[in-house]
Amino acid sequence: MKYSYIKPRPKSVFTLEVKLLSTFFSISFLMLFMTYAFLLFKDYSFEKSLKSIEKRDTQLHTSLAKMKEQIVYIEKERALAQSIQTENTVLKDSITNLFDLVPPRITLSTAMLGKKSLILKGITPNKDVYNFMLQAPLRSIFHETYSSFYPAGNGWMYFVSTNYIDEGNHEN
Amino acid sequence: MRIGIIVKFLESLYSKAFINIVIDRNGTTVYVQTYKKEKLQDSYEEQFDVFGLNEKLLDYIHNFTKETPFFYIAYLDNSTLQGAIPTCVKNEMARYQDMSESEYKCYNKQWAYYTSKSDLYEIEKNYEKIGLDFIFSPFSLLVHFFKDKIADFFAGYILIQEDLITLSVFENAILLYAESINIEVYEPDEALDETLLEDEEELDIIEEIDEGIDLDDISAIDELDSLDDFGDIADLDSLDDIDDFSHNEDAEEELDEEVAAITHETKDSVSTEDYQRFTLIQESINRYYHDEKYDSKFLETIYIADGVGTSSLLKQYFEEEMFLNVYVRSIDIAQELSSLCVEEVVS
Repeated sequence: MKYSYIKPRPKSVFTLEVKLLSTFFSISFLMLFMTYAFLLFKDYSFEKSLKSIEKRDTQLHTSLAKMKEQIVYIEKERALAQSIQTENTVLKDSITNLFDLVPPRITLSTAMLGKKSLILKGITPNKDVYNFMLQAPLRSIFHETYSSFYPAGNGWMYFVSTNYIDEGNHEN
Repeated sequence: MRIGIIVKFLESLYSKAFINIVIDRNGTTVYVQTYKKEKLQDSYEEQFDVFGLNEKLLDYIHNFTKETPFFYIAYLDNSTLQGAIPTCVKNEMARYQDMSESEYKCYNKQWAYYTSKSDLYEIEKNYEKIGLDFIFSPFSLLVHFFKDKIADFFAGYILIQEDLITLSVFENAILLYAESINIEVYEPDEALDETLLEDEEELDIIEEIDEGIDLDDISAIDELDSLDDFGDIADLDSLDDIDDFSHNEDAEEELDEEVAAITHETKDSVSTEDYQRFTLIQESINRYYHDEKYDSKFLETIYIADGVGTSSLLKQYFEEEMFLNVYVRSIDIAQELSSLCVEEVVS
């Protein structure tokens, strides 16, 4: 202010128009930035979710494999159980049949049933009763039958009967 | 830093508008200059028949102010209670003028120009709808216009407006005397016309005789009798140096003035007004000579900034009745005000 009595009013480039324009642009940029931030967040969230899903997928695959293994194992177990059950049924039937084979006059003290063998211990009034009434059916079932006797003291005889099934020979 | 660069960049996109308001008895002149990147782009001038603001003037100014935030509205002070004093020291001011009710501005810490605070307030209030950025004194305008002369020459410098005469005496840029004179609206006065006719006849006779001047025959010069009290005839010797002042520019000014004057001379009212101006200036110069407050030195030369288109008679009055060397330079007051405004903004 060299010559004038009064000071000039301050001049600014930020006129009403510029202020409006800058406000408009600021809001636009803010909205753009917010949209960008939202998209970034969504992207991050999606990535995180994707990783989680992938991890879960891997886990499920692992679990599925384990389950398949378990199924195979269980199926094997079932087959085994069925096999055992069948065998047991067979065995039960065999034992039932075996005990049906034993005549009333012969008393068994031990019966040892093996996979391919049967060992019977007991007492018989005499050898003939044993030979005719027990050994004969045993011979029809087992391929090899061995019997041994020893006296019981009261005139009766202890006997040990060992019987084997020879499947190979039988098939032949 | 970055904001500063952005602001400068935005500034460069806008043009600057300098709106200058000059009021005279005919109304309001609005002169506008627009600058783009410190280069003058356009200038506009419009005359309004009002002495304040009206819708038309407001619209005209608003056309420019809405284009750019960098607009400056300058007003040339035409108030009655203004002047200038040859000191800038607060304690010394009271010797010349009671400054308690005035607003003043020091110029180069050597002298001060002032105006009434209430007038300033009134001006600002009158233009509060558009607001003012600068209020300039006619003295600063005068000094700005004659800056090439004031720095080196001892002379009287006069700015003539329609209703105001701004008179100052400078010696090597130091103010010796100043006065602001209001011109009353001219009303045809038969008595004055007769006096003028007589004076003009006398002046014609003087031209015809070409035998020197009989001072006793010129009534107005009687007032200069007091010049005898001066007795500083040595100063008259410096009249020889006047030739040094006669630059080509001055010669051109004289020629221009004479050409312009021919077109005006036919109008009696103009010559009457010129005589009125001459009388007022003469009285003021007499006050300068007689008032002991001022460092009175014999005035040999006056430079007139003619803002109204005076006739050649005015110059003739000074030359014939006061033996002054007169140089008249036309001034477009509104344009000069704009130049001052630009300088103010740039500095």
